[in-house]
Amino acid sequence: MNEGVFGADSEIGRDLADVDWAATPLGPPSGWPQSLRTAVSILLSSRFSMWMAWGPDLTFFCNAAYRRDTLGRKYPWALGRPAAEVWTEIWDDIGPRIDTVLTTGEATWDEALLLFLQRSGYSEETYHTFSYSPLRDDSGAVVGMLCVVIEETERVIGARRMTTLRDLGSDPSVIRTEEETLTFAHRQLDRNKRDLPFTLTYLFEEDGGARLAEATGIPAVHPAAREGVWPVAALSRGESVVVPLEGEAFAKLPSGDWQDPPVQALVVPLLQQGSAPYGFLVAGLNRYRPLDEGYRGFVELTAGHLAAGIASARSYQAQQRRAEELAELDRAKTTFFSNISHEFRTPLTLIMGPVQELRGRLEDADERVLQELEIIHRNGLRLGKLVNTLLDFSRIEAGRMQAHYEPVDLSAVTAELASVFRSAIDRAGLAFEVACDPLPEPVYVDRGMWEKVILNLLSNALKFTFEGSIRVGARVVDGQAEVTVADTGVGVAEDEIPRLFERFHRIENGRTRARSNEGSGIGLALVKELVGLHGGTITAESREGEGTRFTVRLPFGAAHLPADAVAAADGPDGAPGGSAGVSASADPYVQEALRWLPREQADEPAADAPAEAGPTAATTAPQVPARVLVADDNADMREYLTRLLRGAGYEVDAVADGRAALGAVRAAAPDLVVSDVMMPHLDGLGLVAALRGDPRTAAVPVLLLSARADQDASIEGLRAGADDYMLKPFAAAELLARARANVELARLRNHHARWRTALVDSLQEAFFVCDEDGAVIEINTAFTDILGYGPEGLPYPPVHPWWPDERTDPQAYRQVAEAFGTLLGQERGTYTIPVDHRDGHRLWASASFNQVRDPETGRRVVVGTFRDVTAEHYAIQRETALAALSMRLAEAVSLSEALDGALAELRDVWRAERVLAAIFQGDGPPALTSTDPEVTWESLPERRRDELASLRDHPTLSPSAEHTTAITLEHPLGSLVLWIDLSERRPFTDQDQVLLSLLAGRLAQGLARAHQIDRQRETALALQRAILGPSQLPIGFAVRYEPAARPLEVGGDWYDVLTFPDGRIGIVVGDCVGRGLDAATVMGQLRSACRALLLRDASPARALMTLDHFAAGIPEAVCTTVFCGVLDPETGELTYASAGHPPAILARPNGSVELLDGGRSLPLAVRPGASRPEAGATIPPRATVLLYTDGLVERRRRPLSDGIAQAGEAVQDGRDEAVDDLATRIMTRLAPPDGYDDDVALLLYRHPAPLEVTFPAESSQLGRVRDALRGWLARCGLSRRTTQNVLVAAGEACANAIEHGHRHSPGDAVRLRAEAHADRLDLVIADSGRWRTPRAEPDPNRGHGTALMRALMQEITITPGPDGTTVRMHTRIES
Amino acid sequence: MTTPLTLTPGRAPDGTAVLAAAGEIDMSNSQDFAAAITAALDGAAGPLVVDLSAVEYLDSAGLSILFRHAERLELVAPPVLEPVLTLSGIADLTTVRPVPSSADGT
Repeated sequence: MNEGVFGADSEIGRDLADVDWAATPLGPPSGWPQSLRTAVSILLSSRFSMWMAWGPDLTFFCNAAYRRDTLGRKYPWALGRPAAEVWTEIWDDIGPRIDTVLTTGEATWDEALLLFLQRSGYSEETYHTFSYSPLRDDSGAVVGMLCVVIEETERVIGARRMTTLRDLGSDPSVIRTEEETLTFAHRQLDRNKRDLPFTLTYLFEEDGGARLAEATGIPAVHPAAREGVWPVAALSRGESVVVPLEGEAFAKLPSGDWQDPPVQALVVPLLQQGSAPYGFLVAGLNRYRPLDEGYRGFVELTAGHLAAGIASARSYQAQQRRAEELAELDRAKTTFFSNISHEFRTPLTLIMGPVQELRGRLEDADERVLQELEIIHRNGLRLGKLVNTLLDFSRIEAGRMQAHYEPVDLSAVTAELASVFRSAIDRAGLAFEVACDPLPEPVYVDRGMWEKVILNLLSNALKFTFEGSIRVGARVVDGQAEVTVADTGVGVAEDEIPRLFERFHRIENGRTRARSNEGSGIGLALVKELVGLHGGTITAESREGEGTRFTVRLPFGAAHLPADAVAAADGPDGAPGGSAGVSASADPYVQEALRWLPREQADEPAADAPAEAGPTAATTAPQVPARVLVADDNADMREYLTRLLRGAGYEVDAVADGRAALGAVRAAAPDLVVSDVMMPHLDGLGLVAALRGDPRTAAVPVLLLSARADQDASIEGLRAGADDYMLKPFAAAELLARARANVELARLRNHHARWRTALVDSLQEAFFVCDEDGAVIEINTAFTDILGYGPEGLPYPPVHPWWPDERTDPQAYRQVAEAFGTLLGQERGTYTIPVDHRDGHRLWASASFNQVRDPETGRRVVVGTFRDVTAEHYAIQRETALAALSMRLAEAVSLSEALDGALAELRDVWRAERVLAAIFQGDGPPALTSTDPEVTWESLPERRRDELASLRDHPTLSPSAEHTTAITLEHPLGSLVLWIDLSERRPFTDQDQVLLSLLAGRLAQGLARAHQIDRQRETALALQRAILGPSQLPIGFAVRYEPAARPLEVGGDWYDVLTFPDGRIGIVVGDCVGRGLDAATVMGQLRSACRALLLRDASPARALMTLDHFAAGIPEAVCTTVFCGVLDPETGELTYASAGHPPAILARPNGSVELLDGGRSLPLAVRPGASRPEAGATIPPRATVLLYTDGLVERRRRPLSDGIAQAGEAVQDGRDEAVDDLATRIMTRLAPPDGYDDDVALLLYRHPAPLEVTFPAESSQLGRVRDALRGWLARCGLSRRTTQNVLVAAGEACANAIEHGHRHSPGDAVRLRAEAHADRLDLVIADSGRWRTPRAEPDPNRGHGTALMRALMQEITITPGPDGTTVRMHTRIES
Repeated sequence: MTTPLTLTPGRAPDGTAVLAAAGEIDMSNSQDFAAAITAALDGAAGPLVVDLSAVEYLDSAGLSILFRHAERLELVAPPVLEPVLTLSGIADLTTVRPVPSSADGT
């Protein structure tokens, strides 16, 4: 029995049918209103998640999708229960919304509202986007609501977690201390107290214990923060543990953003690569979410991030510590050297002495022997120099430097020292300028020390100067002696200058060209110390590529020097000591310098050959395996590099040119590229530029190798973006050291980039980045999965290849183009667009995007994500279309309206040009309906007519392969062929065909229903009209009837007019309490009873008294009001009685109004048995009587008398109109602005009723007609004279009709009608013949007749016609 | 059925010929009226007084007969016929006397 209601879904329908509906306020389904049935049917047939509530208790219904997505364990318990009981836990949230819908009738919309549902056995945090819309019953009143809902829990929670992970990775600084790193990370964790109500981070101590490092959401002093409560042993093994939070330690736990605290915690280790964990993270878990894979993954990722931060910070700390250790080592080294230097001097002396001797003795010996002796000698000198310098240092540091300051002519001494270097400088091809001005007074210096100062500076200048000059100068500046040594050499980078005088500091080889890489890095440091001992200063100015200038300033006099170390002036005149000859200590400097120069290079052994002693820390690959790509066109070099790097533990790929290298990097980015600069196709600089220009490869480190030894080349290489630059030939160890340094630097640098890439690739949603022009420059794996376009095609400039084709699908193309416009034009947004997969199939993507500024380039880029919503899109499209169609069909009250509405809906769904519906019935042409009213069957092209006809017998509701946009379905009257004319060349896909079938199916159902309704309504109308009143009224009456409850045609009001055998007329107007069908059935009974009672006894009062008894038997009839009267149409005498009914209105021809308010008593059945009075009135000639029900005159907030007065005025204003026109006037004039809201019955009578006489066209009839007319005129209350004039004029017209009109057919009927208004008479005489046109010359007989008519009446029109002649006459009535 | 009309010829006290009509004169009985006037005129040398005092209705059918003999007729008419006689112009051609007050039924 209930299959019809619940048939749309077998499963839910069965459970719904099992509900004991009789126990609910809705009662058994057989009694449900159509509106409820329709709503339930729509609900059940929808695959979209919906529930609805109906009736006073808001009885709950839902469909299968809702059961699956939301209801959970509450099914099937919830069916048929009050909604407030079903959703008691969230009623505070949704109750007010439902109330709003029910009271205002307006729909609500909530996006991602947080609701705690009890559907899985616990209170669950869920998010729902939903809309409540009103449901109306058959009368249009809101009696329930429908909720369409999408659960968004996964999305909202996923986004929240992703935000936390993103924030964790957003640390702007690269290097922090461990503490800073953890503080930053926990600030981020603290912002997500929903997923992480509290966290505790512990770090393992060396003793195996754990120390609380950070906490969020919980005070550090909380009992739960004590280390002992957590399973440390399992965690140090690297295992995650779920800990139930039970026991004393976990009392009064904080609850984060929630009402109640967590009931369990997930404790995860902070893992360290290849080593024991750093510590562990305790994450208090949100009790309102299950600990599923996603939640666990989130906590583990969070822990992973903490671990990565700790790793980074610790590695930085380790570096710091190493630097400090090195400094310590340096100090130790100095001490060591100073201690042992003494010990060197003795053996050195013992070597150098014999060597000198041998050189003298073996002057004639073999050349090779001499050369070897020379080498021994030279290196002996060098070693001696070094030992001396170190000794000097240790002396200075120990404060044991034995200085002997004597006054000297500093200019002369300096110039002499300089001259020692002249030959070496000359040989180097440099200009040597010495400009030492005489100084006004001597300067106190220790000669030995000063020698070392000048020689070191000159040695340094020659070492780094390849062209130009070296200048030495002395002068007085600011009262001090100033000595300068300047060169035009390679110079020193600005950032190196402060460190120039540091001990053992050497400017990096890669940065500066030098004649030699030899050097202890101690010379300038010593110079500075020595100058300092003199109370002087030394400064350096330098510019890279231009040269360096050292300036030494010494004060005059000896006041600044320790007195015991100052010698007296040499001579009595105090003349300073002049040149005392350059000491032998200058020799090592000069010898060393000469050896740098070209002539001696040839026989210099390779001093810097790589250390072959096996790999050291710097020459092995990093711990994590690294891939290196080698690019060199020289096969030998390629093989050498490959061998070298493999030997150090790298994975190596080798290619022969830059182009191949670029391809290889794009395919799989290596950790380092080692490339030659000079290569065919694409050289090293081009390769660097290409890699840097592509965001995906921009971060790959590149080490360039070049044989070009000039400075510009390296600058060029670095400017192109190379990370490092080495000259060939290079030392193997250095290459390996730099390779490792670059790989590790890049790893450090790329840490965040890699973290980001991993995150982006792990996204379920497709991810993309667009540049300012809209070109897609970065995508993730999901992007490729969804669209089929991979990273190998990047960048994808607009128009992107996944755009729908403009030619074949302009509408979709436009949609995408529009969305693309917002993407470039707005800061953020979302859109859903159609796109084409690489393999051609159509999908729908829902995207959201944000504009951001690239922190590195400052350029604006768009970052977006999207989901494949194809299935949802089509589902929503289907549901929307079905719902809209159902709505249209439900609204339609007739078959044709249903079809019209459905066609309009179909047109809207496909934005079609038009939709045709041809109904084939029998043999004739079909009945055509179209959304375009101009179209008819005949106007269609013949081909289309044939196509439509051919589909007539096509199987119903199955798509036609030939005409995809057409479908055949059953129509109640025959076979209906639907045809959709698409407006553009828009593809009609399989999805569209499915939708068309679905809609056609629904339409067929709807049409059948509408047809049934049509037939029911016709039957109902016939029945209604039957109970309303007489269809034929006596002449002189006009009635109007307007029921309040549409589409009913009857209500509780009625009127009745009946003619007694004696010619009197009974008049009844009544008003039952209430309206609508119930009142109408009562009305029908009362009307019939009243009519019968009056016919039996023509006394209004007695009829009403009997009616009292009748009405008392019908509960709903009590209090009905009735006006009941009996009229004598001859005399105008009216006898009447009123049962509580408003008074009749009598409008006299003179304009006065009288209320017939006599004969009044109570409404029906109030006092059955009580007698009722009767009143009498005479209706004067040409007066009008109005009877009515209170619906005509009763208005809110207005006395009834006002309405009655208004009705009286309306009657008076229309007293000169025919009663039927007057009835219309009254109804219109009294209608409220929104139409009548109560039943209205109205009855008008004007006395006397018009006279209508029909007689045969024979002169013998004239007298009889005149008698009738005379009698009627008498009832009209006219003067004798007027009466006579009318009689003659009418007589003439009748005579004409008899004589002329029926000359050839005597005996045909002539009709006379006379009607009186308040001050006017109208007469019409019509025959069926043709009058002769009156002649100009008056006919002795009839000519007088027409003239007489015109003279007697105020207006006469004679209208001859093919079917007869009509004479209309009017005359005013003097009052 | 013909409209009732009574036609009574006679003489006035002064000997003038009189035709007294009573009833209604219309197309159905105008022939009778015409015949009576012709007969009365034939029997009289002087004018004929047509006494319409008792005529309640007279239309163009009767008027046309009066017009035909207007020069020899004198009319006695009740107020009810006055508009018709005036409007038709017959009152300009013949003498129309009101009904003596004693005979006036009003």
